[in-house]
Amino acid sequence: MSDTPSEAPVKSILQKWVRGPQDFVGGLVMMAVALFALWASSDLQGMHGFSFGAGTAPRMFAVLLLLLGGAVALMGLLNDGPHIAAYSWRGPLFVSAAIVFFAVSIRPLGLVVTAFASFMIAALGSEETKWLEATIVGACLTLGCALLFPYVLGLPMPMFPRFLIQ
Amino acid sequence: MELFANLAHGFAVALSPINLLMCLIGALVGTLVGVLPGIGTIATVAMLLPITFGLPPVGALIMLAGIYYGAQYGGSTTSILVNIPGEATSVVTALDGHQMARQGRAGPALAIAAIGSFFAGCVATVLIAVLGAPLTKLALAFGPAEYFSLMVLGLIFAVVLAKGSVLKAIAMIVFGLLLSMVGSDIETGASRMAFNIPELADGLGFATVAMGVFGFAEIIRNLDAGAGMSRDLVQQKITGLMPTRKDLMDSAPAIVRGTILGSILGILPGGGAVIASFAAYTLEKKIAKDPSRFGRGAIEGVASPESANNAAAQTSFIPLLTLGIPPNAVMALMVGAMTIHGIVPGPQVMVKQPDLVWGMIASMWIGNLMLIIINLPLVGIWVRLLRVPYRLMFPSIVIFCAIGIYSVNNAPVDVVLAGAFGLVGYWLIKHDFEPAPLLLGMVLGPLMEENLRRALLISRGDWSVFLSRPLSAVLLAIAAGLLVLAVLPTLRAKRDEVFVESEG
Repeated sequence: MSDTPSEAPVKSILQKWVRGPQDFVGGLVMMAVALFALWASSDLQGMHGFSFGAGTAPRMFAVLLLLLGGAVALMGLLNDGPHIAAYSWRGPLFVSAAIVFFAVSIRPLGLVVTAFASFMIAALGSEETKWLEATIVGACLTLGCALLFPYVLGLPMPMFPRFLIQ
Repeated sequence: MELFANLAHGFAVALSPINLLMCLIGALVGTLVGVLPGIGTIATVAMLLPITFGLPPVGALIMLAGIYYGAQYGGSTTSILVNIPGEATSVVTALDGHQMARQGRAGPALAIAAIGSFFAGCVATVLIAVLGAPLTKLALAFGPAEYFSLMVLGLIFAVVLAKGSVLKAIAMIVFGLLLSMVGSDIETGASRMAFNIPELADGLGFATVAMGVFGFAEIIRNLDAGAGMSRDLVQQKITGLMPTRKDLMDSAPAIVRGTILGSILGILPGGGAVIASFAAYTLEKKIAKDPSRFGRGAIEGVASPESANNAAAQTSFIPLLTLGIPPNAVMALMVGAMTIHGIVPGPQVMVKQPDLVWGMIASMWIGNLMLIIINLPLVGIWVRLLRVPYRLMFPSIVIFCAIGIYSVNNAPVDVVLAGAFGLVGYWLIKHDFEPAPLLLGMVLGPLMEENLRRALLISRGDWSVFLSRPLSAVLLAIAAGLLVLAVLPTLRAKRDEVFVESEG
């Protein structure tokens, strides 16, 4: 929610030289993405004669993005604009953790365990979570998913942990 | 008349019990999604794509279409009753709609929104049926150069009409184009930017990116704002749904204007329901005798944008069905749904899949009728649903999204990728980059590359082919003109002013 103290000095430097830090940094990151794409597609074949090679279009778009990113950064440098919005860590961290946990454990642990555990991890992402309530809703949701996806919709999905079945 | 024969055929398809059921489910789910803030149409359609695997293609597309226009209805309900627009399309409806509700006129506001939407839906259905065949013929005259130019025009439209910086919107489109390059090259089969990761060999899944950028990123952003969003519920009982005679007289012309404007903006690539509702509200305010009434419960302010967004939601199927070009992100997902079922969108769909096209068109009219019948009595339930706190809703959405992505390919990597794109989307929001153009660029990327390559191959490497073919030159000229207009300072100022006002 609030700025972490470590961000403060960076911000002041930005504020001194850059009038619109939000666009400035945004443009720089776009340029970095473009450079990365140029590097990643450097091994691909370019134009041969008048026909496109595999690498032509990616490089074309990457150069375009490089120029646009530069322009956005330049605008941020010269024009007054908003500061970089504060990031929070709690929501992104726990939501990502829940997603990664789901991906890692859906195959070995099955839908029932995975869905419930991911629900609880995601619930950590908000300060307002009440645990009893979250557990009940999580359990109901897991039951619903366990009935809906494999049975009603017929999607192939492991239900229970592998070691229990064997 | 061929038209009537086609429509009759469509109704025969759409009225089969299974398709009626699909239509009803789609409309209900759409309304639900529209009502709940924090989960959008794009994420829902992406989430439900795998569910449609087991369905016949016609039923699947009827359901997905239902979700799309159903959401336009649902969004207006919450805008009016609780001042929370469930969808971006109904942001402007909240301005006057909620004021009407506070004055105890929630009933008429809801009824006018429903009537306007229904009228717009009827007109748009006829429009699709009428314009479909001629546009398909036009499409057959299109060569690769024209297709490329048309897509450029579409992307420029998306830029001009998007809010915020033109430069940043273009950057987002190019970013999307670049993302679409990941995976195998169509012609040479060379692996591009895939880093030998087998899951990337087929390219980034469109649903995966959409779910990340629109689903997960939205959730993370909402958590930022604090889950306890203030909910200014209208408590008194909703009595008297029927609008008075004066209400009807006042809103009838507004509904017609909104429908016309929405239909036009929907057809144009890059347009869409959000822009249509903003434009319609602005128009009403401009031509009103007493503009000060707006924002204080003017019924025209509800009637016109609601008609416009529904008309646009439906007419945006026209470029998809006739040219195979998705005009917005939801339509891009529909392309994904069609591809899953082995249907290649484009001019040949109309001829080869008459069941699908006409069935879907007819189902839109039926769906609109269902919405007007089921929604007014259900208003109470929707309002109660809004009381479900976000702290319980968001983990559920996370789980549904994760299961949805996983089941597309049964690939855990897809889930991780979507999570990563969620963080990318969060960063984009923080830096005021709009994710919608990115998605549009990503969808059009492969099509653009293919047509660009083909056009240059045919012209033997001569780039002037885009200007020497008249149709292509006209399309590019329009695109250039629009871009100049958008950058001109006076117009920009006005455009920004429109958005600022409407957001207030």
